[in-house]
Amino acid sequence: MTIEQIKSTFDVEIAACKNANELQELKSKYLGKSGALTSLLKSIKDLPAEERPIFGSKVNELRKQMENRFSSKGEELFAAELERRLREERVDVSLTSCSHRGALHPITLVENQICDLMIAMGFEVLSGPEIETDYYNFQALNIPYDHPARDMQDTFYITDNILLRTQTSAMQARVMERKKPPLKIVCPGKVYRSDSDASHSPVFNQIEGLVVDKNVTLCDLKGTLEYIAAHLFGPQTKVRFRPSYFPFTEPSVEVDLTCSNCGGKGCSLCKETGWIEVLGAGMVNPFVLENCGIDSGKYSGFAFGIGVERVAMIKYGIPDIRLFYENDLRFLKQFGK
Amino acid sequence: MKLPLSWIKEFVDVDVDIQTLCDKMVGIGLEIEEVVYLGEHVTNVKVCQIKEVTRHPNAERLLCCKVDIGGEIIPIVTNDHHIKVNDKVPVALHGATLANGLRITKGKMRGEESWGMFCGAEELGINGDMYPDADTDGVLILRNEATVGEDIRKEVGIDDYVLDVSVTANRQDCNSVLGLSREVAVALGKTCRNPSIEYHENGVDTDKLVNVDVQAQDICKGYFMQGVTDVTIRKSPIWMTSRLAKVGLHGINNLVDITNYVLFEIGQPMHAFDYNDIGDHKIIVRRAFDGEKIVPLDGKEYTLNNDDLVIADCDHAIGLAGIMGGSNSGIKNDTTCVLFESATFARMNVRRTGHRLGIRSDSSARFEKGIDTYTNNLGLSRALHLIEQLGCGKITRGRIAVGETAQCRDVKFDKRRISQLLGIKIPDERILSILNSLNIPTKIDGNNVWCIVPPYRDDILRDCDIIEELIRVYGYNNISGTLMEKSRITCGGKTDEAKRIDNIKDVLCGIGYNECVFYPFGGKTLFEKASTREIDDNEYIKLLNPIGEELSRMNRSLAPNMLQCISVNLSRNNKNLRLFEVGKAYIADKLPLVELPFEQSRLSICATDIDFDSFRRDVLQVVCSVTDEKISLKRSDYDMLHPGISADIFAKETNLGRLGKLHPKVAANFDIQTDCFYAEIYLDKLFGIARAEIKYKPFAKFPSVSRDFAFLCDEDVAAQDILDEFLNLPLVESADMFDVYRGEKLGLNKKSVAITVVFRDKNKTLQDSDIEKQSAKALRALKEKYNVVLREQ
Repeated sequence: MTIEQIKSTFDVEIAACKNANELQELKSKYLGKSGALTSLLKSIKDLPAEERPIFGSKVNELRKQMENRFSSKGEELFAAELERRLREERVDVSLTSCSHRGALHPITLVENQICDLMIAMGFEVLSGPEIETDYYNFQALNIPYDHPARDMQDTFYITDNILLRTQTSAMQARVMERKKPPLKIVCPGKVYRSDSDASHSPVFNQIEGLVVDKNVTLCDLKGTLEYIAAHLFGPQTKVRFRPSYFPFTEPSVEVDLTCSNCGGKGCSLCKETGWIEVLGAGMVNPFVLENCGIDSGKYSGFAFGIGVERVAMIKYGIPDIRLFYENDLRFLKQFGK
Repeated sequence: MKLPLSWIKEFVDVDVDIQTLCDKMVGIGLEIEEVVYLGEHVTNVKVCQIKEVTRHPNAERLLCCKVDIGGEIIPIVTNDHHIKVNDKVPVALHGATLANGLRITKGKMRGEESWGMFCGAEELGINGDMYPDADTDGVLILRNEATVGEDIRKEVGIDDYVLDVSVTANRQDCNSVLGLSREVAVALGKTCRNPSIEYHENGVDTDKLVNVDVQAQDICKGYFMQGVTDVTIRKSPIWMTSRLAKVGLHGINNLVDITNYVLFEIGQPMHAFDYNDIGDHKIIVRRAFDGEKIVPLDGKEYTLNNDDLVIADCDHAIGLAGIMGGSNSGIKNDTTCVLFESATFARMNVRRTGHRLGIRSDSSARFEKGIDTYTNNLGLSRALHLIEQLGCGKITRGRIAVGETAQCRDVKFDKRRISQLLGIKIPDERILSILNSLNIPTKIDGNNVWCIVPPYRDDILRDCDIIEELIRVYGYNNISGTLMEKSRITCGGKTDEAKRIDNIKDVLCGIGYNECVFYPFGGKTLFEKASTREIDDNEYIKLLNPIGEELSRMNRSLAPNMLQCISVNLSRNNKNLRLFEVGKAYIADKLPLVELPFEQSRLSICATDIDFDSFRRDVLQVVCSVTDEKISLKRSDYDMLHPGISADIFAKETNLGRLGKLHPKVAANFDIQTDCFYAEIYLDKLFGIARAEIKYKPFAKFPSVSRDFAFLCDEDVAAQDILDEFLNLPLVESADMFDVYRGEKLGLNKKSVAITVVFRDKNKTLQDSDIEKQSAKALRALKEKYNVVLREQ
């Protein structure tokens, strides 16, 4: 074939080329080892010597042209292919269901929230035994045998001297026997009372807080509780102390917070009072300090006990304490994030 | 403690409305449980006087009256034929409501106008204790002195409030009208009047009448006795019975009513003995003999022991001290001479005896809270005053007194303690006025504070008690928050265990599991459901006083409560359950417990609508998030799991727990009809092999080569054993199974296992020959150990 013949068939063939594969085949057909152009070049030896350079340069020129055509055709085909893919590859993007993370139990959520805050204030988080001795649960807390305060808490006994702790305060003496001031601890955990009516659960969770150091005052207790209240229920939450009695604190107070539902105006949640009772607290009774070998003349402290379910019920609007222990999946899933 | 407002007014001039009174009481530490207005349901009922009575023209059984309701004459039709002209009676006017829920409206009765209705005692919610003759049926005939037109509530004494006050356990002195009145006076800034206690002794000498011998002085700190002769037993006056009625007691007779009155007013439980029933006129306060029997007023026989305190005469016990009098020595209608006992019995003793015998009375409730000898004498004197006031008899001369006399207590402290504890300063004059109002005379000299505490305040022992009195009256609203500015910085944080538990919960939530919280106890029936074997009930820690059988034994496994929860969820049509709990198993070394048991932290994981492989992966993801140790799974024989589809989880020799499919029997016990998988991990064991720190290891630069192998082997061969043969080779980086095939071609009990093995040498690029050499070793071992051969293609 002559150069002209080759050129004209090439023009027809490359124009008809529809995809990258055909283009590749065409490329080897013309430019490959045994391609048309290569065989043409081989025929150079049959030409007279003086025609050879002209022939050679013509063939090379053709090669260059072809290569350019291959390259531009390639780009053209790639662009067309891309356009086709983008046109054809489509999914239905409308569905919104997602696979859910599991949820932490609301008791854990509240516990974590309070503990995290306390940690930031320098509190250690400690836990202790639920099956406890009478000594730590009562006697070390200034509640000797036959003390009327024992009637305040109906206790589950295992033996005469071993019981299910009725309060996380049982950790107070355990910690103070081992560690000396300055002391800032919180102890979350289960506690047990043999209350069996509808609004009480025989098992519930408390978080005990205890601070012992020089110069710790009732004002510090209030400030700390205000800080926790603001963190749990919003910065506008106010704290109110009412006088009360716990054998292991003196003075002792019940702590009310402004109702998070109505902001203190009065609603059904707070029984129209504007306040919600959430915890008991007080200044550590010097008897308790002395009993653990801490000089009550030098050191003072405060303690508080928060009911975790109580806080969770207010915070999340949970109406019945039994829901926490029923663990219905539809309840649990609401607390996933 | 029930507290009628009218009774408080006996001691304190209350000049504020009921809401303010309650707020002020709460402010100083008295919790108000309930406020009841006695006349709440009786409205628009007035005192009227009957002016005219005529027969009803159309009905023989009815009468037509004209009555004066205070300036207005209205017609009333009645069927009560006892009424007469000039009688004063209660009339319910149009729109009135009555105690029994009736609403009265104007109307015509058989053609005659009747603008209301005459009322009886029941319709007003009163009885004979509260108003004279109010025990009779029919229209209540009022006193002549009643004021026509007045609201009936004023006339019959129900224009009154009864507060239910909750008294804290330290304030035994507040379990009486007098004690609460003292507090009300402090709250309102008023003074509290003392009860009248004067009387004249005009009878025989007390000590000639009776001989008292207190043998058990250790549990009877004070015993006081005085008598009344020439007793006339009769009804008490209405003012007394109506007060008792408001605190829930019935009038009985003057003597018994006086003891009850003093119990509520002064807080002193009194006992009145019939003198003639006391053998040899001798009172002995002693411990009971073991096996001694007594029949108190409740009529039941009780067997006593040496811990119980009794009041006895020369022959036998005539009273269970502080709890109940004997049936043989009480006040009777023909009693002529009584002995009043007013004593201090040890509270723990009364409490123990009462609890053991299962008897409680108003008396024992007071003694359990604590009584002092000051109140003993006050109560006795008050009772004698009432004897005289009511004209019940002659009071004997002199009081028999055994035991301590009441003492005031000195409390001295440094004034700076006040600001040290409270964080605020209270001015001296305020300190003095507050303590004075509390009957605590106080001197301040420089920094020295000296208080004299009255004997009835046994809760005030030291400085902090006085400081509490100060702040509760001064007002907690004076406390403003500070953030421990003067104490030292401490370093907070969680324990490693707590952090690891948080981490595990994160991992589980991340793969879709939801956290549960259960009661850590259950019952025998529940525990048996979660097992295919008979459970050993002796291993469980049991409560002495459970609420019920179903909450009586501490967990030894987390499974029973979890499976119960799965069952409940399934019954509510909740599907695809993914649940976990971090809880405890309570393991006793020895039962009954002599020391605290081991509380083992455990994790339970449970899922439905899942297969073994996926569940295993979920469980192992948790395990591997904690430890780098090599984990192995061995067939488990744990009785609640399916024997063929369950495994024990090991790290070296340590059993970390188990996982598997529920045993069909257990599943059936809980009515679980879908595939359910359960795992329980011992967290203490797992945390024991937790990775300490993450250390970076350089990774190889040379490429890896992967090879697939398909083996033919017996059904019983564990895939992990095949993988392990490769994993033990030095150049193998990983080995995983990707397929198992069973089919007729392979033969019965045969399977084909296909695995991918990744080889890598960290020092060079691997050649085929290296891989051949390595593989050959594994293939040889597999053939020898397990008869596992390469499958012919």
